[in-house]
Amino acid sequence: MNAASVPTTTLALAGALPWPLTAVLAVIAASIVWGVWKSRRIGYWYPLGRVFIYIALSIGAFFMALPFYWMVASSLKSFEESVAYPPTWIPMERETYAQRDGQRVRVRTLGQPRDGIAEVGFYGKPPSGDNVFKIPADSLEQVSRIRLLWENYPQTWRRPNVVSWSPRENVAPSRPDSLWSAMAYPFSAIEYHSDNVFRRVAEIWRGQPPYLLSFTRYFWVSLITGLVVTIGTFFTAALAAYAFSNMNFVGKGLFFYIVLATMMVPGQVLLIPNYIILEKLGWIDSYNALIVPWLASVFTIFLMRQFFMTIPRDLWDAAQIDGSGRFGYLWRVVVPLSKPVIITAAIFNFLSNWNSLLWPLIVTTKPEMRTLMVGLQAFNTEAGSEFHLLMAASTIAILPVVVLFFFLQRFFIQGIARSGLKS
Amino acid sequence: MIASLRDKHFRRRIRENAEAYAYLAPASLVLLVFWFLPVLLSFVVSFTNYRGGDPIPTKEIWAKVTGHALPEEAPDAMGMEVRKPRFVGLTNYRNALTDAEFRKVLYNTLNYSLYSVPLTLLVSLFVALLINSKIKCVALFRTVYFLPFVTTWVAISIVFRYFFHREFGLANDLLMSAGLPRFDWLEEPRGIFEMFFGQFGLHFHHPLLAGPSFSLFSIILTSIWRDLGYYMIIFLAGLQNIDRSYYEAAEIDGAGKTQQFFRITFPLLSPTTFFLLIISGINAFKVFIPMLIMTPNGGPDGTTNTIVFYLYQKGFTGTWRLGYASAVAYILFLIILILTLIQNRVFGKKVHYD
Repeated sequence: MNAASVPTTTLALAGALPWPLTAVLAVIAASIVWGVWKSRRIGYWYPLGRVFIYIALSIGAFFMALPFYWMVASSLKSFEESVAYPPTWIPMERETYAQRDGQRVRVRTLGQPRDGIAEVGFYGKPPSGDNVFKIPADSLEQVSRIRLLWENYPQTWRRPNVVSWSPRENVAPSRPDSLWSAMAYPFSAIEYHSDNVFRRVAEIWRGQPPYLLSFTRYFWVSLITGLVVTIGTFFTAALAAYAFSNMNFVGKGLFFYIVLATMMVPGQVLLIPNYIILEKLGWIDSYNALIVPWLASVFTIFLMRQFFMTIPRDLWDAAQIDGSGRFGYLWRVVVPLSKPVIITAAIFNFLSNWNSLLWPLIVTTKPEMRTLMVGLQAFNTEAGSEFHLLMAASTIAILPVVVLFFFLQRFFIQGIARSGLKS
Repeated sequence: MIASLRDKHFRRRIRENAEAYAYLAPASLVLLVFWFLPVLLSFVVSFTNYRGGDPIPTKEIWAKVTGHALPEEAPDAMGMEVRKPRFVGLTNYRNALTDAEFRKVLYNTLNYSLYSVPLTLLVSLFVALLINSKIKCVALFRTVYFLPFVTTWVAISIVFRYFFHREFGLANDLLMSAGLPRFDWLEEPRGIFEMFFGQFGLHFHHPLLAGPSFSLFSIILTSIWRDLGYYMIIFLAGLQNIDRSYYEAAEIDGAGKTQQFFRITFPLLSPTTFFLLIISGINAFKVFIPMLIMTPNGGPDGTTNTIVFYLYQKGFTGTWRLGYASAVAYILFLIILILTLIQNRVFGKKVHYD
């Protein structure tokens, strides 16, 4: 954007617009005026007419949906098309045909046509010698066909498929032979150090063996960490929330305010010391580093505490009469009653962990311990200009959560509304 | 206070206390090791020159050990050597506060928060009001507006990096087909006010007056796109909590639509608005992911270098100056604390509760 273009913007906005934009703006203005006029007579308590509402919401919805469409459409383009100028809206394949010796052959244009004469070469042959000829530019036939390049997806999935290896182990990198071995089940490590299956599981947990890398591995790491964190926070938070809501103990108030205070400190303050602690513990590049620090979620404790406090004491008295202890009461009565809160907290914790980038970026260095987000970021750095693959990777990453959302819509929205009102 | 252990009631009280502590133990252990300890450690480390490692000066060592010189093409430094940390007092803080780059980082973060927070809240309030009126397909609109929030920041940043690409992106294509000129979305270092008023000859040079750079503004647009759904849902819940009888009473008293909005809707929404203001303000100061992915080098002229990105850059890349990064993190903490206090003081009294 240069100095001359800004006055042009202003002038364009002042009235010298192309007709489609003028028409749209005129419609909007007319509906505003009509809507305001109409709403003076009608007893609705909102200041705008219904038509304007529909139009405004639809325009907004278009811009909300546009990046999604752009992402999916671009993921099905070839590389040349993804960096084409101007960009195409629908993935297409452009073929150029020319008449040569009475036959229609497929050609490729070499450079811009000059004086109406274009230089073309046969498609699929090197552009030299007999394969190049000149013909009038008008006689070239351009055929565009919609083509969805689904091969981008397997290509993207396999893209990080170099075996990552540690120099100390002296395992040479090799490429997997087939798509199946590239989408290998995550337990297929290249080199274990022990025969015992339990020791191998411990090795996997410690992040030791080198792996065949692909998006399967990234998904696997994210899934495991997300599930273990969610289940872990459920247990620690249920216990702690029960203590805060149903028990009286020395220092209850103090404890509560200390736990409350943890929400005041931003997570970035904890990054560096946690990294130092993990390094001293030797947990870098293992599942421990990704999971253990997140096993206590103060938000979940508060959420559950609020809900536990609404459970009437009579239930506890009745359970006590029946001979139940506090532990049994918690797991057999309180928790089943708190299902909506538990699901909300589970979704919140799982998604926080799934979406986090800064923490896994810091505590992992090996490519095989990357979570999905770190894998995406690394992919963005490695394949910076292959936009079609980047869009395919983004689609792959977004799809699971979108599908989850459509099944659990109610809990998502309820959870957010609930957390907002309980400010 | 019965202090004798022979007393049954005292023993039972101890047992109950112990039981409660046992319930709190798992969460407390995790919080102790990974929260309290780090908070203290971070404070201590910020007064040291703790570095993840210094580059090993290969050429010097080689020359000293063998007496020969390495060829010119050999790298000057390889690998990392971890030194013992030394207590340096307030040096890190002094360096941070006098560093010109850090001051620019602060301006960038301030610019980002100052414009993203009100814009997002206004737009999402507007959308919530529209959706809340009696129209059909409410569920459809709500889903479409909320869907961007369900996606991950990382993937969205990648998509918008392509969307805002100067040549291959759809944003410029939309502008061109509307007859408007192209923008250098993620590469434009000038501030938005400087860009707009500069054509009239009114130039702003101070980073705050010139506004966020256009590249930072592109990131603001991305975050508005994404966060709209979240704030809209909360506003919707707040709107639906308002009693219809208020509006009916206002109708009877002859109040117009605008009056109804400013006298009824807005005041009764103020707790929600206040809550969202604080949440979004704090989150805006901690923004990191879009900067890392859309402008990995700090943006044109360092204008998208925000405080957490600066922290990551100084602490976890290059020479891993963890002590300095700790100091920066504490400065961030202080800023957020002051911000929250100011917001509480200024807006707290204006909040109307039922």
